[in-house]
Order: sequence, then structure tokens, then C-alpha cells
Amino acid sequence: MQRPLHIVASGLLCARGDSPAAVGDALWAGECTAGERLLGERYFPYFALPLAEPDWLLRAERAVRHVGAQLGPYAPETPLFVASSSFQVGLFEQRGAPFDMPVGSASFSRQIADWLTLTGPRSSFSTACTSGFSAIDAATTLISAGLIDEAIVVGVELANASTLAGFAAMELLSRSACRPFDARRDGLVLGEAVAAVRLSAAPGPWQIAGIASGLDAYSTTGPDPDGGPIAGVMREALQAADTPPAAIDLVKLQAAGSPGSDLAEANALRQVFAEVMPPLLSLKPALGHTLGASGIAELAALIASLDAGQIPATANYGEPDADIGLAPLTVRSQAVVRRALLNLVGFGGGLASLLVERS
Amino acid sequence: MVFLNAVVSQDFAPDALPNAVRSAIGKPLRRAAALTQLALTGACACLTEEQRRQPTILLWQSTSGPRLETLNLLDEVCLGGGEPMPYDFLATQPALAAAQIQPFLPGLRSATHLPLDGENSANWSMLLALACRWLDQGRCAQVLCAQLDHWPDAASGRWLALGTGPAATALGRLQPASLPAPAGQADTPDFPAHLREWLDTGRASSFYLHAATSPRLAVEFARL
Repeated sequence: MQRPLHIVASGLLCARGDSPAAVGDALWAGECTAGERLLGERYFPYFALPLAEPDWLLRAERAVRHVGAQLGPYAPETPLFVASSSFQVGLFEQRGAPFDMPVGSASFSRQIADWLTLTGPRSSFSTACTSGFSAIDAATTLISAGLIDEAIVVGVELANASTLAGFAAMELLSRSACRPFDARRDGLVLGEAVAAVRLSAAPGPWQIAGIASGLDAYSTTGPDPDGGPIAGVMREALQAADTPPAAIDLVKLQAAGSPGSDLAEANALRQVFAEVMPPLLSLKPALGHTLGASGIAELAALIASLDAGQIPATANYGEPDADIGLAPLTVRSQAVVRRALLNLVGFGGGLASLLVERS
Repeated sequence: MVFLNAVVSQDFAPDALPNAVRSAIGKPLRRAAALTQLALTGACACLTEEQRRQPTILLWQSTSGPRLETLNLLDEVCLGGGEPMPYDFLATQPALAAAQIQPFLPGLRSATHLPLDGENSANWSMLLALACRWLDQGRCAQVLCAQLDHWPDAASGRWLALGTGPAATALGRLQPASLPAPAGQADTPDFPAHLREWLDTGRASSFYLHAATSPRLAVEFARL
């Protein structure tokens, strides 16, 4: 059995807004301001959720319930797929020592299911920045095979000091802004997001036409600068969708402003698209890098923008980098996008590309 | 057709893991987290040298996750008041395992870590459903499905190696069960041990893995 796979609803809460449409409007308006978080004696820009609730768990509950309510009516037995790189580590931090960690490392997924009033099967995915597409890949595989009919895929990345401190310790964070593909880029800007898509074999406005995952073992913290493994995964996604590169109308880049990863992705794009480069877009200057939630958050935001007939500009790009040799869109556009390719390049070598197509 | 090419169970005292890695690859795996060491040791036990070059997907679930490393990180961040040692942070990121073990499994194409949300929970039925589908689609030649756990007093790896072709030591074949599937073995962390027991001593021609919350994910095993 091979069934088409549709995105029938999406939900989003992130620094740019409290729904996919609101985020799409903010992107169109060029909004990209970030707050900041203090770590030790250093401040880092940070894209926090627009929630004032100080209690970590109550804040998480509000965020998850809010996003769940955007998914429309769904059966309680709908399978749940949760993607996160940090789960509830922020809760452990807030409660303090002695740290009371439950036995199951993804026990937070049970809590998420309860908040979403889901009683069906649950599974969790933690592959760093590619977690969201790993979860979508599993859900689409099972739906396509006729083993399940619908799935709710949730990406959750909520504030915690451990992740921020870990990235800071490795000097991977920018102290100013996320500048994708820009000569001045100097690192990531992290952020929070809760995002969800409801996937179904039933018709919806967008299809997941192809998805592929891969591994780049060049280094645990950065991809092969040649971009070969990233190009390979993009090609696999195109092949899975039986779509030639020339049919892609837009690429949603990983492009998080990392000196090495941006260069690798640019080199990969040249290998796949050669002289016929589609428009390139990075959402991370506006949303931040929301790690395990980023795949689903950026998918929801992009689809909302495209549904409104809008391709936002990439914020914070201004100084071309000769080595990169590519520039993202800096002028917003209302060009029609029928197919878009979305890239994720993950910490730890995970790679994923997903191709969405209008139904 | 999907073949069951290996069933492997490994148990270690935590301090014995480095030696197990050294036995598997002939040298230590420096700065690798316990789960990474478990993954490498188990994968090497499942695959011959030649098989390690074939396109492979790794799907591994874990109840413990990087629990001890996370506690260490929380101590550093919350009690130390500063930034953690980079390798302590990296040890909390199970996704890194794939990058560290690929040099010894050159065929490794992708790896997915599925943390579990409760004690005695397991998701073998979903891992096997994904594996069967991806093998049918030709995404890879073999899929390693595993459950890896690392606790203060014990480390364990449970493995099923599946392939599109039968290895010389192939044990059986598997497929999604026709519905309604007969009652079968519950989806628990020790499912591979029950499967091994059936292979060694069972009389029935088929063995079923039952998925309580997703009956359509039931899997049927048969001897060759």
C-alpha cells in the first residue's frame, strides 16, 4: 500500500506569534527582534515564547494546549509523535537539586499526550535539530503503509539553561544576531517553539511528497564543508518525490548563521541545483533556532506564509560571502510556490530534507 | 521479503563497557558516551565486517537515555553556576552516537534515537514496522533495531538485525501481521529474548509481536 500523505492542520507558538497565520504575517512584516538570556556573565540573544508564566510546567502546559487547539478536532486515539532535543530539562533546572528525573527519559511525552487529550500510541524522537523531520518521517511511513490513518506530530523546545550553556561552552552561539549566509555570520541564536502538524491519508491542502534522512559523520559538531552528504539527502528527497530539482520553487534553508554549516549547505545546494538555483529562504533570523522543534515550527510557518501567497524576506542578510556564493531572498515576494524543499542540518551529523507540494 | 538475520542480547557492568568496545573494534572509543559505546558494541555483534559496509539504518529506543550524563550536566549548570565542560554537554546528546560510530560502520546511512516515556515500555512494533517498510522501499539493505539502556549499575543492549537478504546465519523472516492478528508477545523491552526463546525451543510455526495500542503494527515472525 502506498497512500498520499497530507498536512491537514498545523499549530504554532513561537517568538513571532501564536498561530501559523500570525507568524506568517510577522514574517511578511519583517519582524525579527529577539530578547536575550543571561548565562553567567554573558548575554545571548534569544527568541522566547510570548508567555509570561514563570512556572516552567504551567508555561509548557499553556503552550502545548494552545497549539493543540489549533489542530482542529481529532480523535483521542490519534497516534502522537513527539520531537524534542531537551524535553523537560528546564523543569528539572527550575525544581533544583536533588534532580528528580523520572525513569523514562521521554516521560514528558506522556504529559504532552495528556494535555492534548490523546490516549493512543505515543512515540518520541530525539535526533537533535532533525528531530521534527525524524518524527514526520516515521508518521508518514506508517500512514503511507496503511498502518495508521492519522498522526499528530509535535515539536517542543522550551527554555532551559543546559542547552544554552552547552552551546555557549562550545562557542557556537552568536552574541548579536543570526545572519544566514552572510559574511558576518558568527553563530546560532537559540529560541523556543511548540509546533504541530496533523498528518492524514485524507485530503489536505499540502502533501508531503518526499522525505529523506542521512548522516554526516565529518564531525560531531559540524558537517563536511564540501556539502556532499547534505546534497545526497536533498537528492534522495527529490527522488522520493519523483521531482527534478528544476521543479522546486523555494528552498527553506537550514542556514542558522553557523560559519561552517552554512557553507556546507551552500556547497550542497550548488551540487543539487547547479545553475538553476531556486529562491532561498531562512526563517531562523526571525524564529531563532528552535532545535528539536525547528523542523515542525518552520514547516508550519512556511506553509502559512505560502497559503497567504507570501514569501517573506530573509532578515539580517546584508554582506555577501564569497565562499558561500549564494544569497537568500532579501526582498519579499508573492511568487507562486507549488513545491518547496525544506532542509535540516543537525548537531551530531543528522541530516534531513522534506519536500512539500500543493495538493 | 524481510529477513531476521540476528538476535543479540548484551549485558555489561558499566565499567566493563570500554573493554567491550575495545574487543569489538580493537581500540577504545575515546570521549564516547555510554550509549554510544553500547550502540557500537551491539552493532558490531550483529554485523559481520562485510555487512558493516552495506547501507544500514539504525533505530534505537532507550528508557534511560543519557540519564547519568544529564544529571552530571544539571549539576554543572545549576550547582556550578557556570558553563559545562563541552564534552559533558555532548554526552547528553544521543544523536551524536551515529557520527561517532559511522567510521566503524561505514554503511550507516542514518540513525534515529527514540527515547521511551515509561518504565518497561518499548516500541519494538513500530521500529519493526518502519524497518520492514524502509527495506521494502529500498532505502537501505539492513536495519538495526535496538533498545539500549545505561543505568548506574547495569548497561544493556537488545538487538534485532533485519535485512532484505538472508545472512548466512539468518534466523527467520518477518512481515506485518495479517489482521486480525492472533494474540502474541507483548511489546516489552525484553521482546528479543522471547523471540530468541521461540526460535530456540518454540513449536509454533509463527510468532507474533502484539502492539496493544496499535493493533495494525503487529508483526509476524516465521522460521526459514
